[in-house]
Amino acid sequence: MEEENQTLGIGTDEWVAQHGARITRRDGIAGIVDLLNQRISMPYRYALLGIAAVAFGFFVHDLYLIRIASNLGIFLMLTLGLNIVMGFAGLLDLGFVAFYGFGAYAYALTSSTQLNQHWPTWVSLPAIILATAFLGYLVSLPSRRLFGDYFAIVTLFFGQVFIQLVLSSDSITLPGDTDSTDITGGSNGIPGLYPFSFFGRSFKSTSDYYWLLLIVVAGLLIAITRIDRTRVGRAWRTVREDPLASISMGMNINNLKTLAFVVGAGIAGFAGAIFAGVQGAVFINGFDIPLLTLVYAAVILGGSGSIPGAIMGASIMSVLPEVLRVQNYSEFLFLAVLIITLRALSKNWKRFVINVLSIVAIGFVMKALLALLNTSLTPSTTWAIAPVSKVLKFWLVLPEHRIAWGNIAFVLLIAGIAYFSIAGEAIKLILLPVIAYVAIFLWEDRLVADPNVTRQLMVGMMLIVLMIIRPQGFLGKTRVEVL
Amino acid sequence: MLEIKNLSIEFGELKPLSQLDLSVNNQEIVSVIGPNGAGKTTLFNVITGIYTPTSGEVLLDGKNIAGEAPFKVNRLGVARTFQNVRLFLNMSVIENVMASYYPRTRSGVFSSALGLPASRREERQIRANAEELLSFFGTRLAGYRWEQPAYSLSYANRRRLEIARALATEPKVLLLDEPAAGMNPKETHEISEVIGQLRDEKKLTILVIEHDMHVVEGISDRVVALDHGVKIAEGSFDSVATHPDVIEAYLGKGSADRK
Repeated sequence: MEEENQTLGIGTDEWVAQHGARITRRDGIAGIVDLLNQRISMPYRYALLGIAAVAFGFFVHDLYLIRIASNLGIFLMLTLGLNIVMGFAGLLDLGFVAFYGFGAYAYALTSSTQLNQHWPTWVSLPAIILATAFLGYLVSLPSRRLFGDYFAIVTLFFGQVFIQLVLSSDSITLPGDTDSTDITGGSNGIPGLYPFSFFGRSFKSTSDYYWLLLIVVAGLLIAITRIDRTRVGRAWRTVREDPLASISMGMNINNLKTLAFVVGAGIAGFAGAIFAGVQGAVFINGFDIPLLTLVYAAVILGGSGSIPGAIMGASIMSVLPEVLRVQNYSEFLFLAVLIITLRALSKNWKRFVINVLSIVAIGFVMKALLALLNTSLTPSTTWAIAPVSKVLKFWLVLPEHRIAWGNIAFVLLIAGIAYFSIAGEAIKLILLPVIAYVAIFLWEDRLVADPNVTRQLMVGMMLIVLMIIRPQGFLGKTRVEVL
Repeated sequence: MLEIKNLSIEFGELKPLSQLDLSVNNQEIVSVIGPNGAGKTTLFNVITGIYTPTSGEVLLDGKNIAGEAPFKVNRLGVARTFQNVRLFLNMSVIENVMASYYPRTRSGVFSSALGLPASRREERQIRANAEELLSFFGTRLAGYRWEQPAYSLSYANRRRLEIARALATEPKVLLLDEPAAGMNPKETHEISEVIGQLRDEKKLTILVIEHDMHVVEGISDRVVALDHGVKIAEGSFDSVATHPDVIEAYLGKGSADRK
């Protein structure tokens, strides 16, 4: 190593190129993780994941869990599709979920009493994929000349048009008809869909859909990975990187954008059809902006343009809210996030310990103060369900009007965090434990009472924190705009 | 090979090029010089189809390509580099080159997704061609650099990679926009040699915009001087460099008289 350095000379091209060899190994657990990360290659990781998924299908019979897994599969298809459109080709497609909705409604119309159609699944599925892809082609024609924000606005418009069309297509008067026909069921949706059936064998439970999804997702992963590595995938990335350079190198960027759009739409339509089969009914409100935000969050969280990232993002965004339904889990997660944030904001371990002790002290001081003032504190017995709460109740203030005090604490917390971001160093030191205390107070006294709101807040908070710490997403590569 | 006839372009009141005539013969290196704002880069943008001329023709092998889409112009055999270096920064060095084989190759989404033999074969061919092309630049873009992201390259190497990327589209005519800008004297000398080799070994016809007069002197078979969108001089380097109009364009009115 010594000799090599001398012959190369610090700062020469060759020396810079070999910087990897000079990085020293990290110690402890971090080092082991690094080592594993280097040793296990990508195909093995996929294989492990696949084995886990197959084992899950064989050994887990809990209907709720299978349901969550199937939803994950559908959501993963959506994420993979959007990852092509946005991650690879860089198109901000805000009408993406409309293709998902189109696929779902197309399945509903071809497999229900609504129009008295019952197409065999092996006919309807390919037909739906092709139809959605063709719809994607039509939508891309007016949009593809546009870039960035302009593209986003136009596609957002198309997404909304789809929703309005479905909502108002419950009383269409066809030419030559006096009565109006109900096509989409409007806001009532279309219930009672026939399940998938292949060659006479009809799908009986969610478990059957799970196996189908497993095969489809595995196929998609292989196909998309291959596309990413070859000619078209590279061309898509050049469109994302620099459209002017791309078109000057002979790439027809309009066609490439259409192609990305069509492939993404086809995958979304496929996912929609399976979703309709799993649900047995379709309703329009499932294909609006909230779902769009979730899919975008999944792609960005995992790392836009990264296929493993899409898997990770989809898993987090679709499984995490389910985990957070259980108070005990959400409690642990909340405290974990709090402690990690505290450590990140403390300069060293000593500072961190002081902060934790300060928080504990603040808790007892508050309790003592209120006891002195003789304020009536009635710790509710029904409150402490989860083990963590049981411990905390000896330390935390539990006022009578928990919800009202909780709301005040909410405002205080937001104000505190806002001030913290602009405060000087000395004030930050004092403010940090106080904010943490208010956060715990808010959590235990207010948020636990409203689990639905709380889990949304949790997911939102984690997204914010992650985007600040790691803007490229978990598995994304840092991107350079202009150097 | 490349012939520009009576070319004009107007953006409202602004006339970056007016009635320009220019021809570049097969395997000739022609340098375009002129002060800032003379219309040099606009000329490149018109030739490559980024701008559509108001009037006039751009003939490539006698066929008018004026107003064609940029990707079509490239496929007809004109490749370029950019004044401000526009690499695909977040792609690896070799991917930058491999991506540019796009117009000359065929596999589509399905054959790639299914991993068909034809697609695999083509992919191997692209890789081999890209490696060979990069080796043209010797150790500068050698093997250990291939997998590094393009943004990790030095400025001079970025300019080299941009030339390699343009070559990957297998052009007949190469347009180089300030290939030596931002390079040190040694690198400038190297790039001049490379440009000479491109003509001699790759049989290319080359149109160069360059401000460094040593480079222009070293590489040019012919020099064309532009000012305010009008050709003011043409000929050998010596005749253009001493032309009174050229001196005036660079140094202001009256400068030529005192010389």
